[in-house]
Amino acid sequence: MSFDIPSIAQYTPEATVFIGVILVFMLDVAGIRSRAIIGGATSIFLLLAFLQVLADLGSWPLQGLSTLPAGLLGTQNGPVIFTNFGLIFQGIFLLSALLVALASVSEADGEEVPTFYALLSLAALGMLFVAISADLIFLLLSVEITGIATYVMVGYTRKDRRAVEAAMKFYIIGALSTAISFFGASLLYGAYGTTSLTAFRALPANSSLALVGFGMVAVGLGFKATLVPFHMWAVDVYDGAPASVSAFLAAGSKKMGLFGIFIVFVAAVRIFASAQGFALYLALGALAVITMTVGNVMALEQTTMKRMLAYSSIAQAGYMLLGIAIDTPAALAGATLQITADVLMKAGAFIVVGAAVGLGVGPLITDWRGVGHSRPGIGASFAIMLLSLAGMPLTLGFVGKFYLFFAAVEAGGYFTLLAIAGLLNSALSVFYYARILRYMYMPESTGSATVGAHPLSHSSLGVGNAPAAPAWGSVRDEIRGTGSARWATVVGIALLLLVLGIYPTPIIGAMNSAAQQFLTLGL
Amino acid sequence: MSALAYPSPLTDLLAISLVGAAATFFAGKWARWVALTTAAVSLGIVIWVMVNFQLGTAFDYQFVQVVPWLTLSGGSGGIGVNYTVGIDGISLPFLLLSPILTIVSVVYHWNETKNPAGFFGLVGLTNAGLFGVFVSLDILLFFAFWEIVLIPMFFLIGHWGGPRRHYASIKFFVYTHVASVVTLVALFAMVFLGGWSSMDFGGSISTAQVAALDTKNIMVVPQVLLFGAMFFGFGVKLPMVPFHTWLPDAHVEAPTGGSVLLAGMLLKMGAYGLIRIAFPLLPYGHVNAEPVVLGIAFLSIIWGAFLSLSQRDLKRMVAYSSINHMGIVLLAIALWTQLSVTAAVLLMFAHGLVSGLLFLLSGSVHHTYGTRDIPSIGGMNSRTPALTTMLMIGSLASLGLPALVSFPAEFSAFLATWEALRWWVFLPLLGLVVTAGFYLWMLQRMAFGPPRGIPDKATDLPFNEMISMGLLVALIVLYGILPYLIVQFIPHAAIFATQCFHGGSTVCTSTP
Repeated sequence: MSFDIPSIAQYTPEATVFIGVILVFMLDVAGIRSRAIIGGATSIFLLLAFLQVLADLGSWPLQGLSTLPAGLLGTQNGPVIFTNFGLIFQGIFLLSALLVALASVSEADGEEVPTFYALLSLAALGMLFVAISADLIFLLLSVEITGIATYVMVGYTRKDRRAVEAAMKFYIIGALSTAISFFGASLLYGAYGTTSLTAFRALPANSSLALVGFGMVAVGLGFKATLVPFHMWAVDVYDGAPASVSAFLAAGSKKMGLFGIFIVFVAAVRIFASAQGFALYLALGALAVITMTVGNVMALEQTTMKRMLAYSSIAQAGYMLLGIAIDTPAALAGATLQITADVLMKAGAFIVVGAAVGLGVGPLITDWRGVGHSRPGIGASFAIMLLSLAGMPLTLGFVGKFYLFFAAVEAGGYFTLLAIAGLLNSALSVFYYARILRYMYMPESTGSATVGAHPLSHSSLGVGNAPAAPAWGSVRDEIRGTGSARWATVVGIALLLLVLGIYPTPIIGAMNSAAQQFLTLGL
Repeated sequence: MSALAYPSPLTDLLAISLVGAAATFFAGKWARWVALTTAAVSLGIVIWVMVNFQLGTAFDYQFVQVVPWLTLSGGSGGIGVNYTVGIDGISLPFLLLSPILTIVSVVYHWNETKNPAGFFGLVGLTNAGLFGVFVSLDILLFFAFWEIVLIPMFFLIGHWGGPRRHYASIKFFVYTHVASVVTLVALFAMVFLGGWSSMDFGGSISTAQVAALDTKNIMVVPQVLLFGAMFFGFGVKLPMVPFHTWLPDAHVEAPTGGSVLLAGMLLKMGAYGLIRIAFPLLPYGHVNAEPVVLGIAFLSIIWGAFLSLSQRDLKRMVAYSSINHMGIVLLAIALWTQLSVTAAVLLMFAHGLVSGLLFLLSGSVHHTYGTRDIPSIGGMNSRTPALTTMLMIGSLASLGLPALVSFPAEFSAFLATWEALRWWVFLPLLGLVVTAGFYLWMLQRMAFGPPRGIPDKATDLPFNEMISMGLLVALIVLYGILPYLIVQFIPHAAIFATQCFHGGSTVCTSTP
């Protein structure tokens, strides 16, 4: 592609998504409430935007580490900058929204349907802006666009008291964290007289005010990324929200927080490289290790599937934070790969949990007894997602973790300890993922969790207390239970995890070059 | 003539065994036939490879295929990860053993009623993963297959195993997974400290290119640390005392066919990793760690033998005897001479056949007599002569009777020990005496004497079990009388492994 295109053309993905939002509102005015129509339209617009991003990525040379043309770089317009790294994240964000939009087509129709899709697209729009922001204020405002859209999404069903409670909690904590972020931004402005992320990098480490400022910005973004100790809301919200919204929070909005931390801290670690540089790495590394450890240890003792996935999602955030805690091209590329994998795994897993009711499966982990046999398609797909979360080979989750730990060992010294901590955590997580696999495929197994004793147990649905060896179910029953769009999304995600796990070459190539460029040339 | 990019028969082997395993899951009542055919075809390919294997020519991997896969950001200019496969005389015996034991397992479980398609599919998948481990010449590829093998074995133990299968399956999975992640860190560190530009550890090597894999520039202390981490990681799989506690649980709870693959193949992965990676690539490491390695080897031999002696459960006794045998393997590897490495590989080949047979026998005893408790059964020869005969052959093979396959292996291992350590050889020989003791004592109690604890409906071996055991007995005798058939491949590769790295001996650069 040529690079003298009018700058407005660079906003094509954003414009496409925005037109989608307008269209959904117009359909709402026209009184259309069908998920097939509205969800279909939203999916098409998100898909078009996604394809646009892919086409931009596709114009890159595949091989080589730093052979990218300056290309999309260098066209800074005030608070906006187009980088190849940001472009990859636009793709990741759009993918998460697209998967959720597709899967929720199978949910029930109702008057809230247009609201849901409009908010989903708006949230995606906010994330697209995050990926191109070159200014701290612009970044935080874009985060807030997504934030406000997601606060409403959590409670959009209105009749579910747990969801409304979750929305309230999410809203209050979200508002607080945003306030802290903006306060941090104002401190930075006080220290440097600018909020431009591109300008930060060249500045000297002249004041401890700036360190506090960066810390406070990180707190705000850390809430979104569910880093420990700012993770407490996540479990209740993921648990209370409708599963499709949880999928979007875990797959999409969390990644936005991580991306924000990446771009802010790439500047911060450069500023403080000479003075407190190592302490900053140490702090980030400790945050990453604590996050993954807390997530994994808490996940071990959960009895409901959604809470288990929520804690597992917190643990995954710890791995991804390693990308910036190590701060090498390999680590950042590894983190990007792991984020991509996690978008697929977490969106897929929450979508599966959302489909559970339609399949006659209760909310407890023990309710999944025998699902591998009675629901072969969904069961196998879920198993692939769990194996990928555990980092088993042939899946994308393996390649991502492998690359991250590889990068940590490459960085050497103290960073090797991060690799060891991460690997031990990964081994720990195998416990709870393997436990679900055991229930799904070894239905007669007895676990410590007592079936039926839990107040949430859907024992009336029958499957929770399944007989010893359920017969193999037919795929057709299963599609009827989950809805064809949701079924196809789940199976598609599982296949994508496998295909990219075996042949990640193209996306790894793109991420290598983008990460290298991002770290050397900067925003 | 290394690093050719032509399609290798090894790629065909991997593809066929993977596709066959996948097809087995969907084959319904034909699953056993699909599984058997897949294993037989893969055995055929292995035999073709053996026939076309060039003996004693250049020091080089054969049937090599290199396909670029990924480039990781790192080092100077990125680190390449390739799909690199190839074999030498050290991997070949394992390649032969894997389909044989798969066939044996499938035939033994021919009448499996509990979800047979799943069972045979998982057995096939294990076989495919094992092929991958033994042909990979790239660190990522090797590690990926190493981990893949865990997954089907986890399901095999967890779904088809004995009463405590759930505990055993999770323990097996987590224990060996922790070990492999420790190995992984050490492998990465070796790549970086050695300054490699790709993760290949063999495909691109000919004698002229050994320098490309040089790890001499890693200092002594890091080498010892790396070696320690790898030794732990591979040693857990082996298993060595004191990291052996997963083994009895996993073996005893696994279904018979699973135990056969577990003892026959999975344990060998650990020793193979030591021979292929840890010892040749980290010379300072293993030289400095040798006293520790030898000590653990002696401990495993003696401790394993005495543990076996104290067991009442037949299957548990066989499982513990694996610790003893793998201790001898570890001893032979630690000596790191041409003779000892040859002995180690041969011993593993022998142990694969013999322990496979013994696990089949434990399974048959269990379902014929309703128990595996040694003291409560007696006089088996009066009711089940065929089973008793097999049990005698298996026991005698395991204790190293001449003309059976273990004898040449153990003899050469002890010869190598005598050459290197002189009188220390009596320590492992003591283990051998105890081994002979517990097998003969078991035979005395179970096979002979007045009938005891024999159910009325006890019948002799069914046809399919007879076939699978007969196959193993035939091979045990064949390779016992003509060990040359398998030994011919090994010594040449053993010289390469023990002497050619780091510019080593001049023998490597001379073309025969």
